[in-house]
Amino acid sequence: MLTKKRPLPWSVLSLLSRRAAHLARQQYDVIVVGGGHAGTEAAAAAARVGAETLLVTQKIQTIGALSCNPSLGGVGKGQLVKEVDALDGLCGRAGDWAGIHFTILNRKKGPAVWGPRAQLDRQRYREFIQSELLSTPRLTVLEGSVEELLVTEPNPEEPGHHRVTGIRLANRSQPITASSVVLTTGTFLSGALFMGQTMSPGGRFGDAPSSAGLSHTLRERLGLRTGRLRTGTPPRIVKDSVDLCQAELHLPDTHPTPFSFLNKHTRCKPEEQLPCHLTTTTPGVERVVKESLHLNCHIQQDTKGPRYCPSIESRVLRFPGRSHQVWLEPEGLTSDLLYPQGLSMTMPPDMQLRLIREIPALRRAEIHTPGYGVQYDFVCPTQLSPALQVKNTQGLFLAGQINGTTGYEEAAAQGLWAGVNAAHWALSLPPVALSRTESYIGVLIDDLVCRGVTEPYRMFTSRAEFRTSLRPDNADLRLTLKGSEEVGCVSSLRYREAVRVRDSLQDALAALHALTLSTNKWRNKLPGLQMSENKNTLVTAGELLQYNHVSFEMLASVFPESLSPYAEFSQRLKIEAVYKPYCDMQKKEIERIQREENMSLPQDLDYFSLPVSLSQEVREILDRVRPSTLGSATRLQGITPAAVVNLLRYVHATNAGLKGRTHTNQPERKEERDEERCARNASLPQ
Amino acid sequence: MFPFVCRGIMRAAIHTRRISRGTLPGRLLSSCDGVPAGLADADTIFALSSGHGRCGVAVVRVSGPASATALRCMAGLTRSSLPPPRKALLRCITDAKGKEVLDRGLVLWFPAPHSFTGEDSVEFHIHGGTAVITAVLQALGSVPGMRPAEAGEFTRRAFQAGKLGLTEVEGLGDLIHAETEAQRRQALRQMSGDLGRLYQNWSHKLKRCLAHVEAFIDFSEDELIEDGVLNQVDTSVCHLQAEMERHLKDERKGERLRSGVQVVIAGATNAGKSSLLNTLCQRPAAIVSPMAGTTRDIVETALDIGGFPVLLSDTAGLRDSPDVVEREGVRRARERVEQADLTLVVVDCAHLLTDAQQAVDVLQTHLMCVLSSQEQPETDRCLLVLNKSDLLPECERQKLDREMRRVSGLPPVCLISCHTNDGLQDFLTVLHSSVKTLCGDPLSGAPTLTQARHRAHLQQCVAALAQYKRHRDTDLALAAEGVRLALTSLGRITGRVAAEEILDIIFKDFCIGK
Repeated sequence: MLTKKRPLPWSVLSLLSRRAAHLARQQYDVIVVGGGHAGTEAAAAAARVGAETLLVTQKIQTIGALSCNPSLGGVGKGQLVKEVDALDGLCGRAGDWAGIHFTILNRKKGPAVWGPRAQLDRQRYREFIQSELLSTPRLTVLEGSVEELLVTEPNPEEPGHHRVTGIRLANRSQPITASSVVLTTGTFLSGALFMGQTMSPGGRFGDAPSSAGLSHTLRERLGLRTGRLRTGTPPRIVKDSVDLCQAELHLPDTHPTPFSFLNKHTRCKPEEQLPCHLTTTTPGVERVVKESLHLNCHIQQDTKGPRYCPSIESRVLRFPGRSHQVWLEPEGLTSDLLYPQGLSMTMPPDMQLRLIREIPALRRAEIHTPGYGVQYDFVCPTQLSPALQVKNTQGLFLAGQINGTTGYEEAAAQGLWAGVNAAHWALSLPPVALSRTESYIGVLIDDLVCRGVTEPYRMFTSRAEFRTSLRPDNADLRLTLKGSEEVGCVSSLRYREAVRVRDSLQDALAALHALTLSTNKWRNKLPGLQMSENKNTLVTAGELLQYNHVSFEMLASVFPESLSPYAEFSQRLKIEAVYKPYCDMQKKEIERIQREENMSLPQDLDYFSLPVSLSQEVREILDRVRPSTLGSATRLQGITPAAVVNLLRYVHATNAGLKGRTHTNQPERKEERDEERCARNASLPQ
Repeated sequence: MFPFVCRGIMRAAIHTRRISRGTLPGRLLSSCDGVPAGLADADTIFALSSGHGRCGVAVVRVSGPASATALRCMAGLTRSSLPPPRKALLRCITDAKGKEVLDRGLVLWFPAPHSFTGEDSVEFHIHGGTAVITAVLQALGSVPGMRPAEAGEFTRRAFQAGKLGLTEVEGLGDLIHAETEAQRRQALRQMSGDLGRLYQNWSHKLKRCLAHVEAFIDFSEDELIEDGVLNQVDTSVCHLQAEMERHLKDERKGERLRSGVQVVIAGATNAGKSSLLNTLCQRPAAIVSPMAGTTRDIVETALDIGGFPVLLSDTAGLRDSPDVVEREGVRRARERVEQADLTLVVVDCAHLLTDAQQAVDVLQTHLMCVLSSQEQPETDRCLLVLNKSDLLPECERQKLDREMRRVSGLPPVCLISCHTNDGLQDFLTVLHSSVKTLCGDPLSGAPTLTQARHRAHLQQCVAALAQYKRHRDTDLALAAEGVRLALTSLGRITGRVAAEEILDIIFKDFCIGK
């Protein structure tokens, strides 16, 4: 299903968008501010759900730009990409279009923690995202700078509660109104760039700083608590100046695995892929860092930094005397730059050059663009609901770095979910929630809104307690069906494919369990089979598949008639067979948590006056976090089992009523949407 | 209905065996092995649900999908013959392998949904002795898929199954709070010694193991995480498993933990605490003198109060002292108060002014000072004893007595004289009723029960570590899951480990980039 359509050339693109801008209406269902990973997913998702959507960005050219590393996925992050794709998001297909070096990380460590990852061609990625957005029905893209976020005065009946009404752009007197606004401003909220001893306002090198009006509205009018975080990016290095022979060669997988469940192959042919190189730092690097410390504002201010090491400076200061890895990654098929992953730095440019030249492979390297640090404001995400809506402002949604996360995948995941909920809000559909028991997106959002952040939040597989069940291979089964039936953000094409896959897997597993032979017969048919069971014990093919050295292909060779129809699912069937017992064990716990998550707690509960025996400490925690369900209350630190039981009196199970509404409201819109989708797909040259 | 349920369970049992065979190539398991205890449906719970002390019959409850398995294993029933639902059946109750007879008692089978929790449930009605109860609980703990219930878990399940109305839930929070507190105090008493250090040490090691495996999974592809890290985890897991197994086999129980409600006498110096102890045990167990600070160490004595076992401790008077020995005595006294089920706060009534309101204030301040070592001072677990009433003039004494009966906001107050035994009878009545209430709670006062609980959790921990070894070379995700389950089981003894703690260790031990 990989779209072979050539993205539109630059000039046409901007022309089309500007025309759209010219025709821009004064009123939308959803306005998305920002065109990064969060913003593009949010806008596309809102439009897919059926909302008239406007995407406002400072520069149309930078929509879909990879501001930092030219790669997508990885361990934990790869799961997020698969999940975004399963909900029909953009980044998985964009990765398949733009990828130039595909690998599955952790290949030897078990399918639950496989990390699909790709190096990307920056230009191809941007092209894909832009052409995709431009051809999305109901979505308008507008270039402009948001001067002000429009919100109502607090409702006198509910003090402190606002409602968003739209935005006002710079150089435009008329406001644009909308029921929902999604803010995805990344590092631009009071952003400041650092290099050496210089500091300049901005969120990304080369882009204008965003207006102070937005910051002001969030902090002063809505009273949102904000914090400050820092990040950074390494210098880009001229490829020709690097002696790659001195670095270790790392080749991609010989058969690239696409991210998207819709794609059978990637755009880049296996043999066209580019390699990566690995090198390490030397004691000289440490010396340069220490010598330049007094010239390094960003690092000097690093009083309460994150627990991990965001820059080469923090690495050598915290773990001195070691050598640290530096990956030299290609920036694109035709790009003449390399991205040195692991060398994020904020010292003055001349010191940056000195530093990289301490590494043998970079001895004669030239810097194209120096590295720099960014400090920016984020909104403490505990002020958001699980729909990523600001609790005290109806219709205002936040996604991406503004919520204190780091990474493209984390941003994309939030963007998609905020976009879906913004559309639901605008169309008067009930909010939708993803549980941490069913997805990494759910883990991400639950961690953010319940626990908050003290350092840029990044996804790790160890954050997902049900990792065994939340695998990259089954993201479609977990999310696509729900995404279509409950959320309404999945095309009928993808939905039909997911149903086909689910049914085939079920049939195949049933077939495997219906095939029974004695141990002895299995040994005869599969020479070399190691089994110690009694020779007359009956064993099904499904059980046999749980053995390490038994593959689906081996079984299909014994029973070609019943099994060969399922050959395309051989890997998934093997994984299902091995993991099934462990997933079954987790099921009970998952069901318990889901039951608790279906019990919602009223948002206006006055925890200090509840006539139950709760300690002052517990009341304070509950008042601060205002958990939206009993499940999230249970997970809060400091909440005792007794406190949870005392809360039982105030919960109401809303779920049953909720589902009913979703279904009754949707059919018409959905059909209309599906038709458009199909028409679009049909028009793409295959 | 019944035969259907029965078939369902049999299918499930056979299924379990198949799975284990599949995941354990090259090893055939006997029928009782099944899936390791910590890994099967970790959701069948059991607990003693009757009180201890003077009781002829004890009731042990089981709830969850493995209830039927437990019943069959321990009541000598074959696969097809579960007793008729809700009918008492007299059986020999054995250990889980059906070898050793533990007791003869009644068993009842409550198939879902017609049970207190709405799940499959079983009740064992056995003899009330501690040895029998402990043996039965230990046997249950060794049945695959079973674990001891956490505080209030039965009631909570009942609520979730819609078996309890909201009015019945009203008191539930308090009940669970009380149970949690009782468990915490009980655990504290045991964990303050060598055993506590041992468990904490295991927990610490296990946390590191998990952090290192997780670091290897999440970061080794991008960052420099040496392969040697996993080998160290292998060694640690092996050692831990062996140590825990040795510990579980060790027949030496260490210091004999005495059963009984822990009652502690505390208060300022020279209030007559030791005199109260001597009066209660009717012998001069503790030295008494008019000198402040006579008692320096804990003086313990076991008593029978109205048929309930009580462990009474006299402690050093609470005051700041320059004397090193006395300071240690005061520290121990405070520790005891923290672990007490019931505290008798002794006050010299001569220190109370005759104005009632002032007396109440003085008493409240004093109470807070004595109970300050408790996490949340609980006045409902204490009695105020106003001693030396013989030193007050008769009219003053009567006035004080009258006032104290009127005031609210204080725990029960008794005006006594250890010298003349005046008021002693009333005090004993109050003490008896408090002890009786505490004994109604199956969790307080019986250290062997706590030991049985710990044992079950440790067994699960060991079983989970076996999962690590089984999958170490084939699937690190499943292996890590084993360590995680092991830590969860151990955490039920030493305290829950949050995901952030693991990340703290990862970021401290390894250099992880952006």
